[in-house]
Amino acid sequence: MSDEAVTNFCPKGDVLVIAEVAAGELQPVTLELLGAGRILSDKMERSLLCLVLGHNLGDIPQKLIEYGADVVYVADHPELYQYRTLTYRRAVCDFLESLPEPPHTTLLGSTTTGRDLAPRIAAHFDTGLTADCTELDIGPYEHKSKVDPSKVGLYPNCLYAIRPSFGESLKARILGPWKNPQMATARPGVMIPLKLDPNRVGKIVNVPVNLQPEDYRLVVADTVREISKGFKLTEADVIIAGGFGLGSADGFELLKKLADCFPNSAIGASRKVVDLGWIPYQHQVGQTGKTVRPKLYIACGISGAIQHRVGMSKSGMIIAINKDPDAPIFKFANYGIVGDVYQIIPEMIKEFGAVIKKEEGEPVGRAR
Amino acid sequence: MLATGSYNIFVLVKQVPDQGSKAGINPDGTIDRAKAKRMLNPFDRYALQAALFTKRTYGGTVTAISMGPPPATEVLLEALEHGVDLGYLLCDRRLAASDTLATAYALYKTILYVGKPDVIFCGLQTTDGDTAQVGPQLAERLNLPQITYCEDFAIVNGKVEAQRIIEGGTQKVVTDLPVLVTVANSYHALEYKSFRGAWRVQQLKRNPEEMSKYIRTVDLDVIGADAERCGLKGSPTIVAATEKVGEIGGNCCMFEGNSPEVLISDLLAAANVKEYIAALEAK
Ligand SMILES: Cc1cc2nc3c(=O)[nH]c(=O)nc-3n(C[C@H](O)[C@H](O)[C@H](O)COP(=O)(O)OP(=O)(O)OC[C@H]3O[C@@H](n4cnc5c(N)ncnc54)[C@H](O)[C@@H]3O)c2cc1C
Ligand SMILES: Nc1ncnc2c1ncn2[C@@H]1O[C@H](COP(=O)(O)O)[C@@H](O)[C@H]1O
Repeated sequence: MSDEAVTNFCPKGDVLVIAEVAAGELQPVTLELLGAGRILSDKMERSLLCLVLGHNLGDIPQKLIEYGADVVYVADHPELYQYRTLTYRRAVCDFLESLPEPPHTTLLGSTTTGRDLAPRIAAHFDTGLTADCTELDIGPYEHKSKVDPSKVGLYPNCLYAIRPSFGESLKARILGPWKNPQMATARPGVMIPLKLDPNRVGKIVNVPVNLQPEDYRLVVADTVREISKGFKLTEADVIIAGGFGLGSADGFELLKKLADCFPNSAIGASRKVVDLGWIPYQHQVGQTGKTVRPKLYIACGISGAIQHRVGMSKSGMIIAINKDPDAPIFKFANYGIVGDVYQIIPEMIKEFGAVIKKEEGEPVGRAR
Repeated sequence: MLATGSYNIFVLVKQVPDQGSKAGINPDGTIDRAKAKRMLNPFDRYALQAALFTKRTYGGTVTAISMGPPPATEVLLEALEHGVDLGYLLCDRRLAASDTLATAYALYKTILYVGKPDVIFCGLQTTDGDTAQVGPQLAERLNLPQITYCEDFAIVNGKVEAQRIIEGGTQKVVTDLPVLVTVANSYHALEYKSFRGAWRVQQLKRNPEEMSKYIRTVDLDVIGADAERCGLKGSPTIVAATEKVGEIGGNCCMFEGNSPEVLISDLLAAANVKEYIAALEAK
């Protein structure tokens, strides 16, 4: 590590959000990052920057300002119209090198794209990166460990990158104040975006893009976006989620019937049943799956491990069905039913179906 | 037509504490790594399967590489039982407390030492580090293209054709070798241990000298790595504090000890699920 890295004692600086645009659309996680980034940059009394990459981005840069950015840098190039590791890596690294001083903090979403790109940037700049944060903050830190005497000291403005950690119920605060930018990826669906403000003013700056032949080593032949039910987990109003307590993959058939009682519903799952191959990975909720915030989450035969909880605890209402009255999920569900999923769910289907019938004066079924 | 070749396939595997077992889990939620049961990182099983499938289909050899304390030999032996040809363990006290950047640097130097890979398979992430960063950081050091979240991998006429997961869908990509791949858990599950592999490991266990030919242990000096860039010193991040997650909500309204009919009608009486549904329907 260079001397400069350890003697700068973590100066304040700007906060940079790297925007995510997929299929021409700004991704919600970017707005969430701007919301979180705004709090961090205000604490340091510095600017919130946003880098957006793509081609023909239309009103997206303006939108980024309206959602909180002070300066939006636009890297526009025909070859950036879709995400590719090496082209994006090049544009982001060149951009960061062109700044007079590195940003204090650089944030990306922990989407498949952000998790692909962020580590490459961090490795290129030999800087720290914390994955999948659920909270971000700025605060002081005193390093006392003498293992590396050059690091000892008080660091007034560290990025606190907070994430669930290994073990059942711990959160870890991870710091890397020795070098800027301090990098983190944040889980989609966790940070709160600012309200869109059309009166917010900011600057839009075009940045040069110089791609190299070696950046084209990988070619995207085809992209398929699924719109089928169950895959838009993050947008569902109601999620019926199944875990190991279902006993077998067939249990999901029953859950689908329950899901059919609700409009805009989707099927979620715990990691254990995804690992067992009962249901595809796209349905997984939790630390290594999706973070969801439906209005109603019904957890069926899920124990409620911390890694599952972090993905769904912000749901509007959580109903849990579990035959073990001591299951951890009952510690944070709003309503808990102690019982066997195979006895409770059919009854729920009967009742919830009936509720809809009464409200609508129509046959039981899903309004589509 | 499939081009067959003698591909040099690397697979990176890590030993992690077994979360399924309560052994070594301290009351405060931290892990006592000395007491915890150990296992092969579950995600690396998919990487192993991809490596072995590539070898079987297109020809070549598979070398498994791991960095960790001496017991990590166990996961290399397990890899050998599954049909891997050779294992390298990077083991050095100076690696203690490495974060992902330092880990990726050390693995990068190990790879340069071991040889010139055509393809490197990594797990998507580990269950203890749980970052999914080491693979891409390694690819950056090696200046390689990468295919993360890979769920299908083929070599067609010398080119890699792969499918990867993206947000809300999938993507087909084409690239040249060499490449670094992180394998998603939607890839095929690891097959059973091969009879030959298991037998071979039995033989090796009786013959330490033979064993050291197939499981080679190296340290930072052997691979020519800069110790300053490893371990605590080479890690730009530290875990500054851990805190117990407070119980959220904590006042769950419980229904129990009645027939399903009664339980559900009690629930509907207590919870405004009805209003919820009505509000949703109204949209
Ligand atoms: C790094 C890491 C990341 C992880 N990421 C995730 C993640 O993203 N998402 C995730 O979900 N998990 C994740 N996990 C795994 C997590 O720790 C748990 O192992 C997992 O969530 C457990 O799944 P489960 O609740 O389905 O199974 P179990 O824990 O086995 O629970 C099954 C539950 O079903 C109940 N039950 C059994 N039979 C019935 C019945 N007939 N009727 C009613 N109830 C019944 C049991 O009482 C039990 O509570 C991760 C773990 C690690 C280490
Ligand atoms: N100590 C290690 N030894 C070998 N491979 C590792 C090690 N740490 C990480 N990896 C590889 O990198 C992948 C991602 O790990 P992580 O970034 O820790 O989630 C793992 O699935 C392994 O393939």
